[in-house]
Amino acid sequence: MISAFFIYNQKGEVLISRLYRQDLKRSVADIFRIQVISNTDVRSPIITLGSTSFFHVRHDNLYIVAVTKCNANAALVFEFCYRLVNIGKAYFGKFDEEAVKNNFVLIYELLDEVLDFGYPQNSETETLKMYITTEGVKSQRAVKEDSSKITIQATGATSWRRSDIKYRKNEAFIDVIESVNLLMSTKGTTLRADVSGQIMMRAYLSGTPECKFGLNDKLLLEKDTSHRGLSQRRTNAVEIDDCQFHQCVKLGKFDSDRTISFVPPDGEFELMRYRTTENVNLPFRVHPVVNEIGKSRVEYRVTVKANFSPKLIANNVVIRIPTPLNTASINIRVTAGRARYVPAENSIVWKLPRFQGQSEATLSGEAELSSMTVKKAWSRPPISMDFQVLMFTSSGLLVRFLKVFEKSNYTSVKWVRYMTKAGSYQIRVRKFFIIKFSY
Amino acid sequence: MSSNMRGLTVFIADIRNCRVRELEEKRINKEMANIRAKFKDGNLNGYQKKKYVCKLLYMYILGWDIDFGHMEAVNLISSNKYSEKQIGYLGVTLLMHENNDLARLVINSIRKDLEELNEIYNCLALHAIANIGGREMAESLSFDVHRLLISPNSKSFVKKKAALTLLRLYRKHPDVIPATDWAERIIVLMDDTDLGVTLCVTSLVMALAQDNLEAYLGCYAKAVDRLTKIIVDKEYSLDYVYYKVPIPWLQIKLLRLLQYYPAPDDRNIRNKLHNVLQTIINNSQDAPKNVQHANAQNAVLFEAINLAIHLDCESQIVNQAAVLLGRFITSKETNVRYLGLETMSHLAACVDSLEPIKKHQDTILLSLKDKDISVRRRGLDLLYSMCDVTNAKAIVTELLRYLNIADYALREEMVLKIAILTERFATEYQWYVDIILQLLSTAGDHVGEVVWYRVVQIVVNNEELQEYAARTVLIHLRSPSCHENLVKVGGYILGEFGILIANISGASPMEQFNTLQSKFGMCSQPTKALLLTTYLKFINIFPEIKGEILSVFNRYRHVLDSELQQRAAEYMAIATMPADDLLQTVCEEMPPFPERESALLSRLHQKQSDTEDKRTWVIGGKDINKDRDTVRFSTLGSRSNSTDSKSKNETVSNGNNNNGNGELDFLHDLEGLDLSGQNGHATTSKPLPAGFITPGSERWFGKLLYNMEGVLFVDSQLQIGIKSEYHGHLGRFALYFKNKTQTTITSFTTVIEHVKNLLITTPQQPATLISPSGQIQQLFHIECQNLFNETPNIRISFISGTLHTIVLKLPIVLTKFMEPIELNGPEFFTRWKQIGGGSREKQTILQSNVPIDLQGLHSMISGFRYGILKGVDPNPYNIVGAGVLHTAQGGMIGCLMRLEPNVEAQMYRLTVRTTNESVTNKICVLMEPQLTNNSS
Repeated sequence: MISAFFIYNQKGEVLISRLYRQDLKRSVADIFRIQVISNTDVRSPIITLGSTSFFHVRHDNLYIVAVTKCNANAALVFEFCYRLVNIGKAYFGKFDEEAVKNNFVLIYELLDEVLDFGYPQNSETETLKMYITTEGVKSQRAVKEDSSKITIQATGATSWRRSDIKYRKNEAFIDVIESVNLLMSTKGTTLRADVSGQIMMRAYLSGTPECKFGLNDKLLLEKDTSHRGLSQRRTNAVEIDDCQFHQCVKLGKFDSDRTISFVPPDGEFELMRYRTTENVNLPFRVHPVVNEIGKSRVEYRVTVKANFSPKLIANNVVIRIPTPLNTASINIRVTAGRARYVPAENSIVWKLPRFQGQSEATLSGEAELSSMTVKKAWSRPPISMDFQVLMFTSSGLLVRFLKVFEKSNYTSVKWVRYMTKAGSYQIRVRKFFIIKFSY
Repeated sequence: MSSNMRGLTVFIADIRNCRVRELEEKRINKEMANIRAKFKDGNLNGYQKKKYVCKLLYMYILGWDIDFGHMEAVNLISSNKYSEKQIGYLGVTLLMHENNDLARLVINSIRKDLEELNEIYNCLALHAIANIGGREMAESLSFDVHRLLISPNSKSFVKKKAALTLLRLYRKHPDVIPATDWAERIIVLMDDTDLGVTLCVTSLVMALAQDNLEAYLGCYAKAVDRLTKIIVDKEYSLDYVYYKVPIPWLQIKLLRLLQYYPAPDDRNIRNKLHNVLQTIINNSQDAPKNVQHANAQNAVLFEAINLAIHLDCESQIVNQAAVLLGRFITSKETNVRYLGLETMSHLAACVDSLEPIKKHQDTILLSLKDKDISVRRRGLDLLYSMCDVTNAKAIVTELLRYLNIADYALREEMVLKIAILTERFATEYQWYVDIILQLLSTAGDHVGEVVWYRVVQIVVNNEELQEYAARTVLIHLRSPSCHENLVKVGGYILGEFGILIANISGASPMEQFNTLQSKFGMCSQPTKALLLTTYLKFINIFPEIKGEILSVFNRYRHVLDSELQQRAAEYMAIATMPADDLLQTVCEEMPPFPERESALLSRLHQKQSDTEDKRTWVIGGKDINKDRDTVRFSTLGSRSNSTDSKSKNETVSNGNNNNGNGELDFLHDLEGLDLSGQNGHATTSKPLPAGFITPGSERWFGKLLYNMEGVLFVDSQLQIGIKSEYHGHLGRFALYFKNKTQTTITSFTTVIEHVKNLLITTPQQPATLISPSGQIQQLFHIECQNLFNETPNIRISFISGTLHTIVLKLPIVLTKFMEPIELNGPEFFTRWKQIGGGSREKQTILQSNVPIDLQGLHSMISGFRYGILKGVDPNPYNIVGAGVLHTAQGGMIGCLMRLEPNVEAQMYRLTVRTTNESVTNKICVLMEPQLTNNSS
């Protein structure tokens, strides 16, 4: 498994270096720095040099690197890296170079706890917070906790939850956050559209509640309908391609009858992650017209239409329209929002703080080009978008129910929120050449 | 200047503050957009343009692509401010490569700057030419560069830059530079008082002279002079002393330059060179003070030794050098050991007797174990060169032992060399076979195809070897691990000569077949194909094992590889034919291979690039280097007489044949080796233009044919007089050069173009300066070794304002070596009749252009060195003459003549009889024009 674990800053300086096995020397850190960080060509997250494999994850301005000499399960190693980032975030608020430098003792302590001889151990934040504490970290109950209890809990059946939690008001918040990825061809056909979503839960529930959770998952619904002997397709069932759950979910039950039942940890956690590729509702339609007029001018006309219900509003809509590399000056008019030319990114950045559903906005403009010595065709990078739409899911996923069963049978309040963000939302630009005829 | 460009400073500071590449990219993109906008706008003043071009250049050197702003840089070049011009040139040299379309735009600006009087602008322009240096640029600007180089008004540093720029252009585009036309003017610059200029010009001359030996012959004397001045007379500026060694770079270049030419005939030059070399060797005796001193001193010393070896490898100096080298190869310093070994290889490649080197054989063998691989390589080279019949066995054994532990990089070369040595110095064939087979089995992977082809050739060609070879190869094949190359050799030899050993126990046909068959499975396709052929031969010679072999063929008729399949099928068909005739014809014993130079050698001598400094010798024995020398110097002297050059050309092609060029096609059939390296020599002997003679000099030349002294040439600057005397085949003459101008003539040089069979030496080169109205003289000795056809030319060059070159024919002709004799009538007629008519007599009737002056006629005939015999001819107007022509090697030739003038008709009848028909013709040709034109 993992033989060594490093954290580098962006310059390639080693911030954290922890070796778990004898098969590597500390100098292996230099190899990664030379081969990966200093090398601009390598962007693969796994690189194998000789018999040594480096797995790295970039977060903020850090490289989180796990090194192994054996044929480790790559997915597990990456999961562990991301988990470590989450632990860091939970402990320090944000996990960046500054946080690492300020807390390196704590980080070594954490690394000792979550990895043992290179095998990942308990990486549940709430549990860790019970016994790995420092002044900076707020852990309300940690100090009071009896060490024996910690042991029982950490090794017990529900290591992620203590038994004696009490709330006056029992509440559960569910956030469905989707990010939608799109790649649209120049002809307007969808080359790739998928949604990756996560369901975050904040549970403030007393005792040891047993929760049941239902979605408009196609498989589940179809099974239900077949039970009832009905064949109706009008329920907008969603086909979930693959999903993964928090460790608290009883997978056995899910496998047998597709019910999601679990004993939630206290506080915030990610209940489930999923991905869908069918029937993606695209929140925005973009119609770009980019004309190259001769060799010295490019004309833009970009129309964006919101495809969701007029009752909803998109926030922070940003559209980046790439410009040729030899742009000298740019002239832009927009019907809504503000647009300006950002030479540092070689693009026009058009910002619309609010975008009403079903409305439309248009940008038109021209770029003047300067002549180049070497005539290189412009690679025409795609237009990209960024946005957030509240109470809208691109996949059409809905939470059907969340039932909480507890011995004391208290009533609980549940809140559900939906949000769709842009992942990589790109629209390719068609090539128009307008050739002027001179007589 | 840069402190004024605040924008640039801020920009650079910004970039430096970027912690990561992404930020830097953003900053760069922003700045580029800004500059694009500014350039698009136009209306920039020079300062702004300069600033933005600077920024672009900064981005460029950080590694970003810059695809605009070239025009602005070009515009800056034509600015009048130095700072702007400089940035413009910097931009152009950095951003443009030689084939850039925009480079064309710059040519005119550069030319303008070359023509400026401001030498700093000249330098900027030269710098740009040298850095961009495209063909178009070379074609259109090389003349301007040359003009700057030779102009007397150019400052030293302009000349230096111009010389190096020309060098760079020549290396890139040798055909653009008219190297022969410029020879005189460039050579003259080697006399410049500024050593820096001399150094740069010498570098240029080195490159040019390599390809134009004849045209640059004049540099030889100059180089020797310069070396004498620096080393013997110690005339140099103190600025050029590097750790107590005066300008070592120039010394080395000059010493190297001298190696391009054959050893000089002139005793005076020889003595000077000897002095120089001796002084260098003496200087090396004092222990150096520090590393730099040692480096400089050794560098000069090694080059001097190389030159000494080149000049005469038996001389005293070389003996001293050999002793020194012996010390060097045991030195503690790697560099010294390396150079010592290399120079010793040079020595070994040239000397007749290898004894002095053999003394160090143990040391050299030790150098194979040196910790530095390049030293090991040189050690190997030396061992290869110093090998002869006496020590071949020892060296080859040692090399074989070392082969097992040698670096992989070195092994292939070692194998090749061992193979060559074994072949060349083998005294008994058994030893050869043993060594080669051992080589194949120990270093199989590194043995090239060529090696085993050669083995097969030699075995086939030497009958007494065949049985032994077959026996040994069988033994080697039986060893459990045997290399594929050995299997190939085994397959071939057993197929051909297996029958010779079939009666020996353990080598019966079946056993031979089984041995090969056991290796069959592990071999690659080509080897399998070869083995199939061997089996077919077995069927022919050992019919008793036909069954086994047919089963093998049968199996291979179905393999996927088409080659093997075809062979198996065809062999099967041949073997199963009812009659044996075809089989026997097909498998007839191989005829001996035609004798030829080993292909291994050509493999060893690598190709050299065109314009780099060439090595003057190759690794290997004396014979190879001799051939190379003939080829290399063949261009020399071909100008002076055409017949000579023809014969030289023949030797050129012969020389190439020896080097393996002749069998090009043949070799290609066999192994497809790259022999193109050898072709290079053939092209070096290109025909030179016929000798050019300064017009107007014919008049004086004619008169001097029958006068001993007089004027050779006169023009507004120089008057040349000649005085000569001859005794038999020897003679001497003095040339008097008089400066007719009011300025000093500088760089005065004379070069005599040698003629076959005529030896002209000068004990002393004349002074290079002639003061106003001053006069200098130069003395020459002549020896007529045999009959010669051509008239020697003298080439005189000097600077009087500009460079002048005069080429004159020297009035040295065959008749000068005649001695008049006195004969009485009967004696004369006896001889006249002895010679007889036919081809030895020549009679012509001539029409004179001027009235005949009988008195003048007498003096002319005696001027042609005939003894005038009075009273022999009954007609008193007729002149009868007799003389004997003396040559050193061709003996004496009697010459008789009779001239019958007809004063009224202004006609002559000239009859010449000599004992040699070519002399007869020659004398007629010489006398006729003198008789017809000016009898006064």
